[in-house]
Amino acid sequence: MTKWLALVATCLLALGVAACGSDNKSSGGSGGTKLGGSINGAGATFPQPVYEEFGSKVKDKFGTTVNYQGIGSGGGVSQFTAGTVDFGATDSAMTDDEIKAAAKKGDAVHVPSVFGAVTVSYNLDGVKAGLKLDGKTVADMFLGKVKKWNDPAVAKLNSGMKLPDQDITVCHRSDESGTTKLFTTFLADYSPAWKNGPGVDKTVKWPTGTGAKGNDGVAGCVKQNKGGVGYVEQAYALQNNFTTADVKNKSGAFIAPNLASTSAAGEGVKVPSDLRFSAIDAPGAKAYPIASATFLLVYKDMCKAGLKPKQAKLVKNWLGYVTGDGQKVAPSIQYAPLPGPLSTKAKAKVASLQCNGKPIKG
Amino acid sequence: MEAGSINARGDRSVLERSPLAKLPDQATKWFLTGLAALILVIIAFFFIRLFSEAQPAFAKFGYFGFTFTDNWDVSSNIYGALPLLVGTLITATVALVIGVPVAVATALYVTELCPHRVRGPLTIMVELLAAVPSVVYGLWGVFVLIPKLRPAEQWLSDHFGFLPFVGGNVAGPSYFIAGVILAIMILPIVSAISREVMSTVPVEHKEAALALGATRWEMIRIAVLPYSRSGITGAAMLGLGRAIGETIAVTLVIGNAPAIGKTVFSQGYTLAAVVANEFNEAASVPIHRAALIAAGLVLFVLTLLVNAGARFFVARAERLGGKKGRVGAPGSAA
Amino acid sequence: MSALVGVSARRKRTDRLGRGLLLLATLIALVPLLAVLYTLIQKGGGAISTSFFTTDPNGRFFGDPGGVKSAIVGTTLMVALAAALAVPFGIGVALYMVEYGKGTRFASVVRYFVDVMTGVPSVVFGLFIYILLVVTKVGGGFTAWKGSVALALLMLPVVTRSAEVVLLLVPDALRETALALGSPRWKVILRIVLPTALPGLVTGSLLAVARAAGETAPLLFTAFGLSNTSLNLGNQMNSLPIQIFNDVQKAQDRLVERAWGAALTLVVMILVLTLVARLIQRRSSTA
Repeated sequence: MTKWLALVATCLLALGVAACGSDNKSSGGSGGTKLGGSINGAGATFPQPVYEEFGSKVKDKFGTTVNYQGIGSGGGVSQFTAGTVDFGATDSAMTDDEIKAAAKKGDAVHVPSVFGAVTVSYNLDGVKAGLKLDGKTVADMFLGKVKKWNDPAVAKLNSGMKLPDQDITVCHRSDESGTTKLFTTFLADYSPAWKNGPGVDKTVKWPTGTGAKGNDGVAGCVKQNKGGVGYVEQAYALQNNFTTADVKNKSGAFIAPNLASTSAAGEGVKVPSDLRFSAIDAPGAKAYPIASATFLLVYKDMCKAGLKPKQAKLVKNWLGYVTGDGQKVAPSIQYAPLPGPLSTKAKAKVASLQCNGKPIKG
Repeated sequence: MEAGSINARGDRSVLERSPLAKLPDQATKWFLTGLAALILVIIAFFFIRLFSEAQPAFAKFGYFGFTFTDNWDVSSNIYGALPLLVGTLITATVALVIGVPVAVATALYVTELCPHRVRGPLTIMVELLAAVPSVVYGLWGVFVLIPKLRPAEQWLSDHFGFLPFVGGNVAGPSYFIAGVILAIMILPIVSAISREVMSTVPVEHKEAALALGATRWEMIRIAVLPYSRSGITGAAMLGLGRAIGETIAVTLVIGNAPAIGKTVFSQGYTLAAVVANEFNEAASVPIHRAALIAAGLVLFVLTLLVNAGARFFVARAERLGGKKGRVGAPGSAA
Repeated sequence: MSALVGVSARRKRTDRLGRGLLLLATLIALVPLLAVLYTLIQKGGGAISTSFFTTDPNGRFFGDPGGVKSAIVGTTLMVALAAALAVPFGIGVALYMVEYGKGTRFASVVRYFVDVMTGVPSVVFGLFIYILLVVTKVGGGFTAWKGSVALALLMLPVVTRSAEVVLLLVPDALRETALALGSPRWKVILRIVLPTALPGLVTGSLLAVARAAGETAPLLFTAFGLSNTSLNLGNQMNSLPIQIFNDVQKAQDRLVERAWGAALTLVVMILVLTLVARLIQRRSSTA
């Protein structure tokens, strides 16, 4: 009896020692003051890849662990409002109602971080990347009106391409998603049926298709279903080697989602002072029409909202990295950095963050 | 039960302890009684708290309105839980239809037919099914069961389309797959309890049937099954209770579509799955959160009712046969 | 088995058919178990390596995804705390019911409600702790100790029920002898009842622990999740079920592979606990 207890105790002890050995001790980085500590964030899966990348760079440089849980923009806004995380993340800016709900804790500040593109990814044998689609056709697919890949509507845009007689399996989000809001904004711009039907929101009543959680879930759905079509952020499409559609933009050109076209979407976009904007259907000739910025959410006075001063400092540091050095890192995974004027505004927002009425130093 | 108290002369016995020494005993008694009472308090508090947090949803939609309206619309903040309730019942039904016969048959085989040496290992193997956690079943369901069963499901759907609730395109996640996984998960408990009940069948009954010339199968039909009916019903209801409450395995294989699917191969949603999936987003939307808690409450009440029924049947089986024998009065004093 | 009356061919056929069906059903019942174990070993085995156990999931989008160290540490810590809460509590309640409350109305009521608790779905426990502790921000937002509390609530009825059964098996004669010799009640419990029942109590507790280790839903609402290894129970914490749950829903093959590896690890942990529990039970019953 005692032998068993001793064995169990030893195992626990060994685990404990192993765990202690790596608990938040910085692994020797390059320069930068070692702030250490850890911050918790949650929200959109759209930028999750780039935030994870930023996080590992911040860990190397400052020793701070950034723990990000991808639970969808809806979850991000919700947890931010409830105050259970240090920062939130959302692809679609908070609505007036959501800001009012968060007002109990303070003023919500939107810090745009990067631009990303929502691809229309498909899984079709024999069809290479670059299938031409426009807003109306995609909307009709997601409405269930266009049921097969060789439907005349698709063929009309792709004369000369042999389209298989395959059923279209629609893959969409089952959770509240900023990516969904961006995508449906685009659909509503080109399809009155969509606008008056499911509409524009983080979650809608999908007329057809399979639901999955997170950008990853939709990617999985497309991957597992022949004839599948789904909307996922570029990084996810790249990672799974998806074929993506060239989508018709406002100027009439069919644009492929890539770094250049994503950046082009950011140019010339009108940004209000609270930085709550959407770049969907950007006017640029080379702009990809379903691209937009994604936001990090913090309270203007973080400490009054419930964060300890040390945490507030770490969060500000994190935001500083995202809007500063991080902008050079983003392109490596096909996220576009903020265009000049927007970047300046974002940095100014970060600088204006306070702790108990006083600006945060360092 | 204390040693001694008053001796023949009316004095205190030398064996009796002083009131001070009695203190640890009283303390222990009160402490343990307190723990037991604490459980009641926790459970009562549990129910009360769940109920009060769910109130806003019930106030807005009404008890019947919430439970029986077919419209779970998160974006408009309208919450009618019928699709969830129906999904819960459909998956549980599929689980029972598939799982209970297999479990009972396994129990019969183990108690009546299988060679003695195999009995132990076989029992352990069925129990091992219970050791696999829900999330692992979900993982297996998504990557093994769904792709493997898809051709068979499509075949069933194509050839048996005339049956109600069968037909249509098979996408992947569905009520059916969730039901199959649930059937696997309830197998151990239904089998174990059935086995226990069957082992209490009086040997005389079985021997009498055999002596009268019945074949083994007939003996089972005549002597074992009728006797175990109550217990098996109870076991099935316990399995049902478990199937209703299962969350993680179901949410990974059911598709999470908040609508009542047209066929058994459609995607759907259950009460447990919706709570696990949406609470993150509901954290700061009061009505959404209340609706989720209300869904949890409906689930809780449902499991309470099913388990109460199960307990009734199992107790009845124990009374009718039981360890005390047929003649023993029910609930003899300890 | 030859009867006085001959058995018709039809009845013989039915008999063989019936028995064949029962055997078939039993084999069908075993197929999922074998299939799951086979897949676990085949797919999970590929993910197992030293780095699997010694590195944390790093969330990197391209390249090595890291191991599951934080999940293993998290599960061990949270389940240990849950056991520390539930086991004494449960044994205490069982002691009350057997030593002091036998036959009382109060004890039957408690027993009934403990039975009720066994039927409560784990997600409802998670929800309860969520609204009670997490939303109200008692001692922080999402924290690991709240996850332990939810798991403890789950384990409590299991421990209580099995402890009661075991304690009832302790012969009354032992108790009465000790009491007759002048020993106070609490000493009887401590020195005689508990040591005698110990193997059974340990078995019951280990089985409850094995059950809690595999639970996901309660932790979703409380401990939430974390990438790096942390011993801080006052903050979010990773756990094997949560890690698996997150990785299942990813599209990347290497993450799914990690999920299989973690699943294999978790199942092995649970099997070991169950095995130890059963061994203790067997040893004590034959001793």
